[in-house]
Formats: sequence, C-alpha cells, structure tokens
Amino acid sequence: MIKTENLSFKYNNEQESLVLEDINLTIEKGEFVAIIGHNGSGKSTLVKHFNAILLPEGGTVYVKGIDTRDESRLYDIRQAVGMVFQNPDNQLVATIVEDDVAFAPENLGVAPSEIRKRVDRSLETVGMSEYTHHAPHLLSGGQKQRVAIAGILAMKPDCIVLDEPTAMLDPIGRREVIQTLLKLNSEEGITIVLVTHNMDEAVSAERVVVLSEGGVEMDGKPREIFCQVERLKALGLAVPQITELMYELSREGINVPCDILTVDEAYNALSQIENYNKGLKRS
Amino acid sequence: MLRDITLGQYFPGNSPVHRIDAMVKIILAVLYMTVIFIAKSFLAYGLVAAFTFFVIFLSTVPIRFVLRGLKPLLIFIVFTAVLNLFMTGGTVIWQWGFLRLTREGIIYASLMILRVVFLIMSTSLLTYTTSPIALTDGIERLLTPLGKIGFPTHELAMMMSIALRFIPTLLEETDKIMKAQMARGADFKTGSLIKRAKALIPLLVPLFISAFRRADELAVAMECRCYRGGKNRTRLHESKVGRIDFIALGILIVFSALVILSNKSG
Ligand SMILES: Nc1ncnc2c1ncn2[C@@H]1O[C@H](COP(=O)(O)OP(=O)(O)OP(=O)(O)O)[C@@H](O)[C@H]1O
Ligand SMILES: [Mg+2]
Repeated sequence: MIKTENLSFKYNNEQESLVLEDINLTIEKGEFVAIIGHNGSGKSTLVKHFNAILLPEGGTVYVKGIDTRDESRLYDIRQAVGMVFQNPDNQLVATIVEDDVAFAPENLGVAPSEIRKRVDRSLETVGMSEYTHHAPHLLSGGQKQRVAIAGILAMKPDCIVLDEPTAMLDPIGRREVIQTLLKLNSEEGITIVLVTHNMDEAVSAERVVVLSEGGVEMDGKPREIFCQVERLKALGLAVPQITELMYELSREGINVPCDILTVDEAYNALSQIENYNKGLKRS
Repeated sequence: MLRDITLGQYFPGNSPVHRIDAMVKIILAVLYMTVIFIAKSFLAYGLVAAFTFFVIFLSTVPIRFVLRGLKPLLIFIVFTAVLNLFMTGGTVIWQWGFLRLTREGIIYASLMILRVVFLIMSTSLLTYTTSPIALTDGIERLLTPLGKIGFPTHELAMMMSIALRFIPTLLEETDKIMKAQMARGADFKTGSLIKRAKALIPLLVPLFISAFRRADELAVAMECRCYRGGKNRTRLHESKVGRIDFIALGILIVFSALVILSNKSG
C-alpha cells in the first residue's frame, strides 16, 4: 500500500541534521499501524510523505506503486490516502456537516447523486447521520473529528492516516474516534496509520512503529514493543499504564509476564500467581 | 459576550421560499428592495406589508425571528425618523420654539420608517431561508459572467464561505484570549480611548498568530482533500433554475407593477 525506500528529508537547508533519515517502511493493505515517538522525532513529517504533501529529499515513496513525485498522479495518491489532523476546527471547511463531508468528492468531480450516496454512507459509518444538517462548530470535539473522518471516507480512500487525532479530545471523544477507526479497519478493510502519543491507543493497533531522531527505532507487534520497557523509556516514551504496573511488579521480584497490555490480561496473570501461591501454602 | 452575535442565521426548512434557487433569490431580493424604494404612497406600503408578511408566512420562519433583525437598528431608525420629522419643510401644524412639525415631515418620516423596516425584513428573510453555502454559491454563479474576463469568482466565493465557517471559531477564540488576559489583570473596559486601544494589542497579537496557524493547517487539510480550485468541481446540491423560480419571479413582477400603479393613486 505504502512503501518508503531510503526516505530522507529536511525542511530547509539551514537545518544541519536531517529530519528524516533513511527510512525503509512498508505498510501493507488492511494493516492498522500505530506510529509513536517523542516530540520532534519526525512523525508528522513522515506521514505527510504518505500523500505527497511533502516530497522526499532523498529516496522514494510509493503509494499503491505510484511514485509520489509523479505529479500527473497527484490526485490519485491524495484520493487513495486520506489524512486527518489534530485540530478538528482547522480541517472542517463548511458551515453544515453534509457540505463538509461532500467537499472532497466535489473536488474530485464526482456526480451529485453519487456524492449524496457517499455523504450519507460516510456519516452513517462514523455514526453521525443524525447530525447531517448541523453546524460543525456546535459539535463536541469527538463528533467533529468523526465528521472529519467521514469527510475523508467520502473520497473512498484505501488508507487513512491520522496525525494525533485524539490529542485535543476528552476521554469520551478519544474512545469514539478509536472505536470508529477499529471498525473502519475490520469492517471496511481500510488501512489505518495512527500517529499517537497515547500508548493505550497504540495497543489497539496490530503493529507499532517507533520513531526516534528521524529514523525507525523499533517495529513490531505491540506485545513485542511494549515488552521492552527500558528501551522505550530511554527513548523518552511511556508504556501503557498496565504494562508499566506489571514491569514494576516484576522488578519487585513478582513473577509476572512482561507482555501484558490490557487490564484483563493483568487480572488473569495475577490470579494465576495467587492460585499458584495458594497451592504452595496448601502443600 | 461575543457569542451573542448571530451570524449565518439560517433557519433550515423546506418551504417554497427555501426552495427558490439561491441565485434567483438574490436577484428577487434586490428587485424587491428596489420596489420598496420606489413605493411612495401608503397604499403602496400597504401592499408591501401584505406581501412581506405573506412571504414570511410561506417561509415558515417564526415572525419574531424576522422582527429580531430590527432590534440592533432600532436606534438608527428612530434617529433618522426624528430628523426627518423635524427637518422637513412644508405646512406647519405644530410649533414649539425652533421645533416645528409639518404635515410633509410626518408623512416623510413614517414612509421612511416603513421603508427601512421592510428593507431589513426582506434581507433577513433572504439569509433566514438560504444557507450560507447556498448564498455564496448563488453569488458565485451571479458573478460567472465576470469569470469570463478573468475575475476569480470561485476563489472569492470560497473565501466568503470559509470566512463564514471561521467566524464562530475565531469569536470563541477571542473570548478565550480576552478571559485569559483578564485573568492576568488586563482591563478592556475602562480608561481612555487610547488606553483601551492599547489593551487590545495583547488580544490581537495572539489572535492573529493563531489565525495564521489555522489558515496554514486548513490549507494543508484542503489539499489532502484534493482541492484544486473551481475547475471540474461538482456540487452536492446541484443548483438549477426551475419552475418554482420562474413562478416566484412572475409573482414579483406582477407585484412590482401593482406597487407602481398604487403610487399614482396614493
Ligand atoms: N515546517 C517546518 N519547518 C522547519 N522545521 C520543521 C517544520 N516542521 C517540523 N520541523 C522540525 O522537524 C522535526 C520533526 O518535526 P515533526 O513535526 O515531524 O515531529 P513530530 O514527531 O510530529 O512531533 P510532535 O509529537 O510534537 O507532533 C522537528 O525538529 C521540527 O522542529
Ligand atoms: Mg506531529
């Protein structure tokens, strides 16, 4: 779906070091990838290469096999890879929800009857049908962000890239957005790339890419990544709260597995230990 | 306090008035305003009143909404009416010192009030029954002939609709910054004019910085959604001039003729 080969980039020539350095990354169709990394590690810069908002300085980026430098295919690339940003207020263009969702297909020259269908379907998918005629500035943050996602869905993209979509939302808004993404990934088969600072969100992905100083530092399943608590901490990153707890427990000498990501798993692991201890006492 | 300002005061509905094409509705509104200016007799204003209330009734917009539009301009209306009342020469019917009331003055002032009131009511009816998007779209189409000679009609319409979209956001932000500055002891309400103007600087600087950042992010977000100007662009709401538009135009032309006739009789 998306492939970068030796991708390097810097914003201007005054910058002494590269913002991105020699990144080789392949994102397959249907994947749910989380990208994490500390502030300034180059996450936003990297994902802006995925739909030709930025063009590589060195190396190449392919989207569905198209080189992003190929200007004649620019709108094929933009249509295939949609992007949602942090601040919902700064990406909604219209004063009515349905007009906003219609913006992308209008730009693509889609026939009005087809736009109507896409708008209704996209709003239904993100669960915002009842707000079709509302003004976006009166919605909650989570609702605005879902409208923004619907606006991208209306392009019929293969992949949606989200750059910290939940950073400005309250916990309810966060959950709404993440649930929507999981649904899009599993039911519609849309590839999701989620940039986030929230480790509990990264856990819901099937793959986690860790960026540091413009390079890929780690890449793997959430379980493999978050197991390496010390390495993540050295990179200035946190781990999911429950993993942190398990890590502290194992440092205290309690024998728990390290690759625990959810409360349920922690509960199971701890009750096993308790049963084991009870067993010890009885015998 | 800034939130009291209502903009984009669209009242959604599906009445015949709502269904008139936006471009046609703008033309009709301009025509109607011309008729109001032409009206010179009380009979003519009787007709205008009857017609205005008929259209309000058709539009299903609550009448108090339409009347609310008059409130901010009340002082202006009263002031000009009083001026007209005492400054018009003619047959004197009452005098006290330099204040002089003339027959012509009374007629002139009351016609003036009627004229302003109906002008405001008809413009607010236009904005109540047309969504801002449709309105800018209508303006864009009205300007299309200018586009042929290189006038950036699409860009202008886009700028207007984005401005409409961001007014509430920026007002909210202004409110927030004002409160933040007030919490730090800023004072926007007392002192001389110069002092108050100076107090605005710490308000305007962050507001501008944030507006530029917003504009930057919005531009990227629009690019991500394949925006490339007005070329080959389609619209969700196809706007076509249809039967209802011709009917409305016909009615208004007949009405204009009636008003012109009644000017003579009054
Ligand atoms: N428009 C720009 N011009 C110049 N330098 C930039 C620009 N945008 C980002 N940078 C620099 O590039 C580096 C990477 O920034 P980037 O925004 O990609 O980081 P990030 O991982 O997204 O950080 P955050 O978590 O804060 O969003 C930073 O050192 C930043 O200062
Ligand atoms: Mg970023």
